[in-house]
Amino acid sequence: MSNINIDSQKTNTYDVIVIGSGISGGWAAKEFTEKGFKTLVLERGRDVQHIKDYPTTNMYPYEFDHRGQMPLAVQQENPIASRCYIFREDAAHFVVKDNEHPYQQEKPFDWIRGYQVGGKSLLWARQTQRWSDLDFEGPARDGFAVDWPIRYADIAPWYSYAERFAGIAGNKDGLQELPDGEFLPGFPLNAVEDHFKGVLNKKYPNRHVISARCAHLSKPNQIHLDQGRAKCQNRTLCQRGCPFGGYFSSNASTLPWAAKTGNLTMRPNSVVESIIYDDKKGKATGVRVIDANSKQEMEFYAKIIFVNAAALNTNLILLNSKSDRFPNGLGNDNGQLGKFVAFHNYSARISAEYDGLLQWSTDGRNPAGGGYLPRFRNLHKQETDFKRGYAAGFSARRSVNRDSSGVGAALKDNLVKTPLGPWQVGSHMMGETIPKAENFVNLSKDKKDAWGVPLLNISVDYDENDRLMKKDYIEQLSEMFTEAGFKNIKVNDSSQAPGLDIHEMGGARMGHDPKTSILNKWNQVHACKNVFVTDGACMTSTSTQNPSLTYMALTARAVDYAVKSINKYEI
Amino acid sequence: MERRLAIKQILFLAGGMALLPSCLRDTGKSSIALQTIDVSLDQEHLLADISETIIPETKTPGAKSLNLHLFAIKMLDDCYAKEDQELFFKGLDALQDRSEAQFSRSFQKLTVPEREQLLLAIEKDEQAEPAIKKFYDIIKSKTIEGYLSSKYVMTNLVVWELVPGRWNPYYAVKSA
Ligand SMILES: Cc1cc2nc3c(=O)[nH]c(=O)nc-3n(C[C@H](O)[C@H](O)[C@H](O)COP(=O)(O)OP(=O)(O)OC[C@H]3O[C@@H](n4cnc5c(N)ncnc54)[C@H](O)[C@@H]3O)c2cc1C
Ligand code: SF4
Repeated sequence: MSNINIDSQKTNTYDVIVIGSGISGGWAAKEFTEKGFKTLVLERGRDVQHIKDYPTTNMYPYEFDHRGQMPLAVQQENPIASRCYIFREDAAHFVVKDNEHPYQQEKPFDWIRGYQVGGKSLLWARQTQRWSDLDFEGPARDGFAVDWPIRYADIAPWYSYAERFAGIAGNKDGLQELPDGEFLPGFPLNAVEDHFKGVLNKKYPNRHVISARCAHLSKPNQIHLDQGRAKCQNRTLCQRGCPFGGYFSSNASTLPWAAKTGNLTMRPNSVVESIIYDDKKGKATGVRVIDANSKQEMEFYAKIIFVNAAALNTNLILLNSKSDRFPNGLGNDNGQLGKFVAFHNYSARISAEYDGLLQWSTDGRNPAGGGYLPRFRNLHKQETDFKRGYAAGFSARRSVNRDSSGVGAALKDNLVKTPLGPWQVGSHMMGETIPKAENFVNLSKDKKDAWGVPLLNISVDYDENDRLMKKDYIEQLSEMFTEAGFKNIKVNDSSQAPGLDIHEMGGARMGHDPKTSILNKWNQVHACKNVFVTDGACMTSTSTQNPSLTYMALTARAVDYAVKSINKYEI
Repeated sequence: MERRLAIKQILFLAGGMALLPSCLRDTGKSSIALQTIDVSLDQEHLLADISETIIPETKTPGAKSLNLHLFAIKMLDDCYAKEDQELFFKGLDALQDRSEAQFSRSFQKLTVPEREQLLLAIEKDEQAEPAIKKFYDIIKSKTIEGYLSSKYVMTNLVVWELVPGRWNPYYAVKSA
């Protein structure tokens, strides 16, 4: 009996365990395996192999039963997933269905998830911007949350490191608030996007429209070809998985790279229930896993554990990791685990028409999606009645004025004519929200999922700052649109719940002080030094940038630190 | 059942839609498998004639040969709420009533110009009762959607590219 135990202990022991195979977990796996560490990646979802498991990738619109639209019955069964634009016939198989993975909403929260090898990296919109010190210094300057324990200089080399491997298309725009990176050529703006940029340049000194920076191989380097990836072919069908590996996903990039080292063990269908803490050793020794299919329980062991289950699921795992030392969840000495959750406020959009520059249209497709307007409010000092600010997307496309009146041969002829109409322009807001103790997640007291894991209870809402900021976004964008000569301006002030931004962050924030934070400046649990959290759970504040590039950089940085610490016998 | 599934899959692969030959089904019923509505073969033929009136066969294929009416039925079945489905069938009956009232014949017995005249009258009738309006909206919009997203149109007339391989942000328009 004890022999069997020892044997299974041996075969189930690795140098490192990474929980989750999405953007951050894929990076952890790549970094550790490259450095020679035997790494086990535990992923709760099924395997998704690059290309082979992209069933819809080469389908034409007419090959989809409902031309992309989800049947009403499916929408009614999945009201949460259905609110996300990605939940269509071509990509729905990569999106979590509501009733398969329930959670509790104390307040409305649309939790959009991807449970499979690759996580949400298959589905993301690939927008990537660096943070600057204007972001990292935010909490300290404006008196909220806690001070970030790092500054731009700490992460800048790791941004470069992550960008070079992932492949980020963008221009060197020379903006202090949005530092330049290691870019592949950017995707240029079209005539009306350039026009808007020009108007802002003239009228508003600190407002800029740049080509959206995105994780696409506009011009691959050798390091990308070595990953088996090729130049992006402008399909803009990325959410199906890209047969060219034109955009960054774990499946196309970090995971096959890690596998090539021979040091990777990937275990799909493995639901991590909790992290095992050994009171005697004073550290974590492994994880408890429930096999997703057989529901059999098992244990795996390692010297180092990286938790990368995506922000809220990482909170769930830590909260559920109870021991004598940590009765309230791993590393939760101060009772703050699960608190100070924040997100991005995406609840307003604005659209309009423009009937100038009609000598231009576009041809082909722009995978970057258009332009990006970095935060301009309260950049260097407090200027408004709300804290912080927002970034905005901006894009323009030429409409087609199809005549679909009448019936018969004339209609049939008209339908295949594509006379160009005016330009349609649009913008959406991406507002920073302020982390607060009242925005939290915790474990359901009585409800468990099909694997016996407590359901996550989510209590997150907008506040007055968010409302004031949204009002300002609407006013400012309306004004800028008017300045640019755009007509028929329409505001869409949606009541969409938090979560639909899919940028949920916090709960296990980084900080200097173990009394007020869960992680230190190396993403290491203050009170359990061999556990690291490098996904969105670690975020002290949210700023306005799309977060995933920062997760990549923090992950690579934390692995580097962990490896140095092991070598110095510190963990 | 097994065989039906297999055939369904073959047809699915071939045409992008689950078309079942009617020999496998009860006679008098629609030729495609439906989940939430009943469509008789007669109704299916009538809908085919209506779709064909909207998008007729000319030098290029029309609604019947592109099975646009079947696409419309499939969308009605899977993507519309019960209230809309009920209005649709009420509207279909109302269309026959209009045909009888105006021409003393059923829609199927009308000449093509008469059919067009009848449909155009509905399109222009702002006072039309909700059922016939709803019916007409659905059959026309789905016939058009099916047409524009048909393989024929997407590969011959308004070509949809799977792999454009280019982004030209300044594409000069010939006559603005
Ligand atoms: C439609 C869409 C658009 C987006 N656009 C952008 C964008 O433009 N830019 C941007 O920066 N971000 C974007 N995001 C967000 C981005 O996808 C996430 O920030 C990113 O994927 C987070 O990486 P992650 O590793 O933390 O989590 P994920 O990529 O979600 O991976 C987490 C993995 O952990 C697994 N897991 C969870 N719980 C367990 C458990 N208990 N045991 C084992 N495994 C577990 C999950 O199955 C999943 O595979 C978008 C997301 C979506 C869905
Ligand atoms: S736009 Fe580029 S990355 Fe996206 S599917 Fe396409 S070729 Fe692939």
